[in-house]
Amino acid sequence: MSTFVDRYPDEARVVRATLVVSFAALGIGAFFGLIQALHRTGYLRIIDSTDYYTVLTGHGVLLALVFTIFFLLGLFTWAVTRSLERPMPNIRLTWAWFGLSTTGAVFAAVAIVAGLFPSLDMSADVLYTFYAPLQAHPLFYIGLAMFIVGTWIAGADWFLAYRSWRSDNPDERIPLQTFMVLTTMLMWYLSTIGVAVSVVVFLIPWSFGLIETVNPLLTRTLFWYFGHPVVYFWLMPAYLMWYTILPKLAGGRLFSDPLARVVFVLFLLLSTPVGIHHQYLDPGIAEGFKFIAMTNTMFLLLPSLLTAFTVVASMEHGARQRGGEGYLSWLGSLPWRDPAFTGMALAGLMFAAGGFSGMINAGMNINYLVHNTLWVPGHFHLTVGTAVALTMMAGSYWLVPQLTGRRLYSRPIALFQVVLWFIGMVFMSNGMHRAGLLGIPRRTAEPQYQSFDFSATIGSVTELRIQMAIGGTLLFVSVVLFLFNVLLSAIEDPIEMPVDDSLPAPLSGADGSPVVLDNLRLWTAIAIVLVILAYSLPLASIVSDGGLFGESGTFPVFIEAVYWIVGVVV
Amino acid sequence: MSIETETDSATGDDPERPRGYVVGSAPSDVERELSHDEFDPVGTLSIILVYFLILVGMWVFMYFVEFLGGELTVVG
Repeated sequence: MSTFVDRYPDEARVVRATLVVSFAALGIGAFFGLIQALHRTGYLRIIDSTDYYTVLTGHGVLLALVFTIFFLLGLFTWAVTRSLERPMPNIRLTWAWFGLSTTGAVFAAVAIVAGLFPSLDMSADVLYTFYAPLQAHPLFYIGLAMFIVGTWIAGADWFLAYRSWRSDNPDERIPLQTFMVLTTMLMWYLSTIGVAVSVVVFLIPWSFGLIETVNPLLTRTLFWYFGHPVVYFWLMPAYLMWYTILPKLAGGRLFSDPLARVVFVLFLLLSTPVGIHHQYLDPGIAEGFKFIAMTNTMFLLLPSLLTAFTVVASMEHGARQRGGEGYLSWLGSLPWRDPAFTGMALAGLMFAAGGFSGMINAGMNINYLVHNTLWVPGHFHLTVGTAVALTMMAGSYWLVPQLTGRRLYSRPIALFQVVLWFIGMVFMSNGMHRAGLLGIPRRTAEPQYQSFDFSATIGSVTELRIQMAIGGTLLFVSVVLFLFNVLLSAIEDPIEMPVDDSLPAPLSGADGSPVVLDNLRLWTAIAIVLVILAYSLPLASIVSDGGLFGESGTFPVFIEAVYWIVGVVV
Repeated sequence: MSIETETDSATGDDPERPRGYVVGSAPSDVERELSHDEFDPVGTLSIILVYFLILVGMWVFMYFVEFLGGELTVVG
């Protein structure tokens, strides 16, 4: 019996390197989160409020982009290699994308952290949502561009591995994990066009002073064109683990391989034409376009609900194989002492709660009520902050031993860590959601107004602040425990069999599913058509009204857009 | 040096299985193999129904709080 590192030592080295970058970003980003939580609630203020935005940017970029995406880069490399059962086609190419994305991430991080040192004359206090009118140092945008290009090359690397496998296996179905990687990357290529155009064409020249103005609404829209699919770019690695690893940890098998493929195809089709739902409050985009985005968004509930069914059914299969009975008592037969299982299961539970607040956000009218309040950070701390981050940490307890040949340092600490994250997030997210309903704003260090007090119908604002401060502190402690455990695991003595890394075949395999599901060209073509349908008119409106580089315009803009298109065509 | 002790989660009977506790060792205590046709996910159905009821309840709650109250409570 050998594990991944024995079979693919070169690939294991790359995956380990990506996880090192990912976890370093997690540590720094979590520390920034602690500072934010305590500053914002007023319990400990070690920075000036003007530096809060530097810390917020660091927290958002390092956790939502660097931690998650570097973990994805490693996980996908592992998944492609193990499911195709062959090494990467050119390991130098693999190291090249690692080097490029790491350099880019370091550039971006340096530009952000430099904001804390006024003598450096460099800053990137643009929040996670980097668009005009907030402007960062050019190094920030250049770093982001390099990071994105690095992910593109990584995708090319995986497609090359697939092509090589396909030439040897012309009639086989694409192995499920590779299928998940390829569909996710197709979505990523499609969606990152928006942010690439925004950064390269507008923000970099603007930050260098080559152009004086940009159209803020255009950069916002191009950002959100990418800004919602990136949510699924974080989520798809978690889904990959829920679909292919969690059933095994539960002692069962994946309920349905075809359903898993359908879900990933749906995400490829539906992820990108929804970004305008982040812009319900933006003037300059007609209500009709927003309504279309809302309808598209509601369709996205379908793959999420399919996932809920398939993953829970897979866990139930494991529980019943382990002696579970009844309608709900089988839950007690699941391996709750296994931190990898428990962490992923709790992450899934939090995701269900996040689904509810997500539906609130998606609805145009209710979104108006909560959009710029703490409700929204409360929502995404359930999704990316728990469903994704906790799954990645829990999955690491199973993954890292395969990559190092060393066993986990401490299972009890790992178990305590994942439960602590869950408890911390219950406090913090509950506090944030309820504070949002009181109208307490987000993205500000000083959420107070003169002659105005927020008042709570149930509980008090002080109680909510305490919950957020306690929650944020528990989450930071949880990250420290995670990093401590993984670090000590990496310096254990090597042993022959550090982990049970086998993955059982699905109950219902790919053979019974329609072959068309594997037709990636078809799904990509449909996805492109849907994006064109959803975005061509709004983008034409924005450009015709405000100009490519920020001419002033009038609102609303729908009619002008039609005139503009007619003018171009005629 | 790991602080883990040897536990019964991986028995010594199977030479292919790692000794001591390993993450992901759940299948070692499988009592019965359930094939696709033998498996009836009624528990999953129960959980999804419970989730659905919670969603409906929260939507109704939001409706009463935000709309039937006559004014927007979200701004205090």
